[in-house]
Amino acid sequence: MAMALMLSISTCFAEIKNAKEETVHIYGNCSICKSAIESAANVKDVVQVEWNKDTKMAVLTYDEKQTNQDEILKRIGLAGYDSDKFRAPDNVYAKLETCCQYERAAKIIAKIEASKAVNLAVEEKVVAPILETKTEGEHLQLKEVFNSYFAVKDALVKTDGTLAATKAVLLLNSINAVKMENLTKEEHSEWMKVMKDLVFDAEHISETKDAGHQRDHFTSLSKNMYSLIKVSKQETPTYYQFCPMANKGKGANWLAKENIVKNPYFGSKMLGCGKTVETIN
Amino acid sequence: MHPFIKNRVLSPCNMRMKSLIVFIKTNAIITVFVLFSSTVFAQKVVRYDLYVKDTLVHFAGKEKRAIAVNGQIPMPTLTFTEGDTAEIHVHNQLKEETSLHWHGLFLPNKEDGVPNLTQMPIWPNTTHIYRFPIIQNGTHWYHSHSGLQEQIGMYGNFVMLKRPSSPSFRKGIDDLPTLPIVLSEWTNLNPENIHRMLHNANDYPALKKNSVQSYGEAISAGHFKTKMKNEWKRMMAMDVSDVYYEKIFMNGLPSSELKSISGNELKGGDKVRLRISNGGASSYFWLTYAGGKITMVANDGNDVEPVEVDRLIIAVSETYDVIVTIPAEKTAYEFLATTEDRTNSASIYIGNGIKQLKSPLPRLKYFEGMKMMNDMMKMNGELDDMGMAMSLNQMDMNVVMYPEITGDAKPKQDDNDPNRYNANALGDLVTLNYAMLKSPTITALPKEAPVKELYFKLSGNMNRYVWSLDNKVVSEADKILIKKGENVRIVIYNGSMMRHPMHLHGHDFRLLNGQGQNAPLKNIVDIMPMETDTLEFNANVEGDWFFHCHILYHMMSGMGRVFSYENQLPNPLIPNPKLAQRKLFADDRGFHFMAENDFATNGNDGMAMLQNTRWSIGSEWRLGYHDSHGYEVETHIGRYMGKMQWLMPFIGFDWRYRKFGIDEQETNLFGQSNSKDLRSLVTVGVNYTLPLLIVGQAEIYHDGNIRFQLMREDMPITKRLRMSFMLNTDKEYMAGFRYIVNKNMGITSHYDSDMGFGAGITFSY
Repeated sequence: MAMALMLSISTCFAEIKNAKEETVHIYGNCSICKSAIESAANVKDVVQVEWNKDTKMAVLTYDEKQTNQDEILKRIGLAGYDSDKFRAPDNVYAKLETCCQYERAAKIIAKIEASKAVNLAVEEKVVAPILETKTEGEHLQLKEVFNSYFAVKDALVKTDGTLAATKAVLLLNSINAVKMENLTKEEHSEWMKVMKDLVFDAEHISETKDAGHQRDHFTSLSKNMYSLIKVSKQETPTYYQFCPMANKGKGANWLAKENIVKNPYFGSKMLGCGKTVETIN
Repeated sequence: MHPFIKNRVLSPCNMRMKSLIVFIKTNAIITVFVLFSSTVFAQKVVRYDLYVKDTLVHFAGKEKRAIAVNGQIPMPTLTFTEGDTAEIHVHNQLKEETSLHWHGLFLPNKEDGVPNLTQMPIWPNTTHIYRFPIIQNGTHWYHSHSGLQEQIGMYGNFVMLKRPSSPSFRKGIDDLPTLPIVLSEWTNLNPENIHRMLHNANDYPALKKNSVQSYGEAISAGHFKTKMKNEWKRMMAMDVSDVYYEKIFMNGLPSSELKSISGNELKGGDKVRLRISNGGASSYFWLTYAGGKITMVANDGNDVEPVEVDRLIIAVSETYDVIVTIPAEKTAYEFLATTEDRTNSASIYIGNGIKQLKSPLPRLKYFEGMKMMNDMMKMNGELDDMGMAMSLNQMDMNVVMYPEITGDAKPKQDDNDPNRYNANALGDLVTLNYAMLKSPTITALPKEAPVKELYFKLSGNMNRYVWSLDNKVVSEADKILIKKGENVRIVIYNGSMMRHPMHLHGHDFRLLNGQGQNAPLKNIVDIMPMETDTLEFNANVEGDWFFHCHILYHMMSGMGRVFSYENQLPNPLIPNPKLAQRKLFADDRGFHFMAENDFATNGNDGMAMLQNTRWSIGSEWRLGYHDSHGYEVETHIGRYMGKMQWLMPFIGFDWRYRKFGIDEQETNLFGQSNSKDLRSLVTVGVNYTLPLLIVGQAEIYHDGNIRFQLMREDMPITKRLRMSFMLNTDKEYMAGFRYIVNKNMGITSHYDSDMGFGAGITFSY
């Protein structure tokens, strides 16, 4: 048996010309990993890889004139397996069989200075601590309220009730954090009109995980947000959008940061239903 | 042979120029150009010497000819600062003519570098000096405008820096560490041969790319009806691009590392600005980044308000400036340029440490694309946008083919969803489109100027590879006269089935994209099928300016126009305008040759053909091995009519000789006696392409005999198997198969009513 194996290996190797042999570390766990790694790496007559699941070491044998170690390790990386040179794309790693989801070396996240000239609408800013906004020009303090609203909307676009509820809590916080004395006159009078309703709808959205119920409250929430944003000056335009089929055929509106329709009332069922009816600058 | 080419080790920050380049730091003041410069800086003349030379490269497994400048591919990066004067000495050491065009630059017409239009070609062993003031800033590039030289190495970065004191200088953008990148492709085929094969509808590139879309593949994908309908509408299988490339390059390398810029090592948290030019001859590239979003800050050398996207497509000859961030320590992130057809890519790893990979874009769902085309194509060959007013790349019909947007399986889409082609509405990814470009400054044209409106319809014929504007190629159309001072507004509709990057020389135009006074300035607009875009510019520099599709093979087929200023002074570099025009027109008037012969057991069967935009001169033969099988040659000279070129009237000559027919039939279906044994007749007739791509032929011979014939050639059964058949009213018939071995050889078997059954080998060119 061993003889036969030896023979077959030696015949395999015999076909690889200008052979070079190297041993490298490749992350993985089980025999499923082994076949995935090897089939991603092997090329007939050019590359032959043997991975050992106990030592996590792979022996690469390849034709030096036709390929190199980087090319082989890149292919293995794209199949989901990290090495010391390449890190697999996260989405590919996430799709590996559960038994193959080896422990990955943690990344050290770098501190990124927010550059003022580059106006980045980074997602993280949406959930940024509210306290920070005070130093940033007080006339913009409603911005956090709107941003929290957009986060609720995005959660409803995904029909994710749990996420919508947590985002609604943030919305409540940002509503409570608004200092009325810092609002402009127009903002102040509108704020007095809608504040109670905003709190009411936000509370209801935060108390349930049922996206259907959340959407009922989102209808009136959106209406009040609209009248508020109309009197509040924002840096970037906001788009007021309308879907005639929402709210049981009565139609409903919402606000969006991008001039692209992503329907929060139907989600993926009818993602593109609706149109922009007004651009608020 | 250039050893430098063969083992180039490019450290990315030092890719500029080799020792041959001399900077002359004189403070020479060129009074003529002082007018253009509003600054008080002393004029600096920056001189480059470029030596253009034949070379051999070994990029993709074979030694092939290429053109290197100063011993390198791409050509050296040329860097200037706004206010400088450029002086570029081009030394042509080739055995053929050349030229260099400064893409996207504002300059006097005679410096624009279009041979036979703005200058005569730079002849072998001569030196030409380009000299012009640098009156703008931004990311541009330069390339040969002669023949197909751009495909084999003549492209390079051309960067014009802002002065730090300039009011347009943007902190946090213009002061970032920067790398210019020119994208390009490499093919082992001679580009002249590619051009010829494209004109002969050769499906070899499709074979290499696995995009033949044969009947067999259609059936196994459950798309038989789609394929039938496609051929019923007289379409051949389409791809998003025409040419197969072995390698994709960023600055001449398929894979490279960017670890430091100007001696400063890159670390986590750093931002890097990439100045990207697409120097590819015919490839669009998707740009994606493993480290997250890409911030786009400039397009075609003009600043735009920063936009954050997940990906963008860069059209042939466009430039984009993007900022990427290195999000983690000890990691290098892959920046990936993938061809639109997704068959190939190039990467650069930005940062130091383990390389974080980016998932490649998945393969296109070709039959979904075919189905989409079927819906859009009317029986008469016109496109039908079904009421969607499309513009600015916002709706991309190709999303039906993108698994990352529309899923792996067949899409369950609502045909009435107005957003069914809007990638940004369908998926989580944000894809850049032209509507998102906004200039930071007001770009409105002078209000009082008179307006000239022009309308162009981009037209084309995939099967014959004819590309034109309003169904006229460059040599068939007059120059378009414009007056200095007027505002020229151009509306362009793309009625062809491929996208076209239309490029205007010497001017930036405003692309009217809904941003009002802040419409972005561009010099290339990519127009997808069925889109309509409007652009406008103020005519402010006299000269003859080329306006053309920047896909090299489309341009060489005649897809362009010349804008010419009325009553302008003659160009001193064009001593004989008539000769220059004739040479310019020769580009799209050229004939393309094809030939094939089947060496079969029962005889030789073959054809040879010369074709250009409108004319076809062809000869078909069937030569038996002995008199009883007969010898037969039919020669036709025809002219393709109409936009779709389905109709071709012809005149011809038939000659045949045979001793004893196997087929004893001596009268045709109409009872006319027929001269099969010895015939030499003049004939007049028409070819017409019918649904299912069957060519119907009707002809009358000078002896009064009539013949009708139906023929279909090269029907794709599987990826490599083709079927043909023919029958006619002389009661002749033929059916056969061909298995494609490589681009010049096939194995055939066929049955012919004259010569019986045979098998053989076909050679084709």
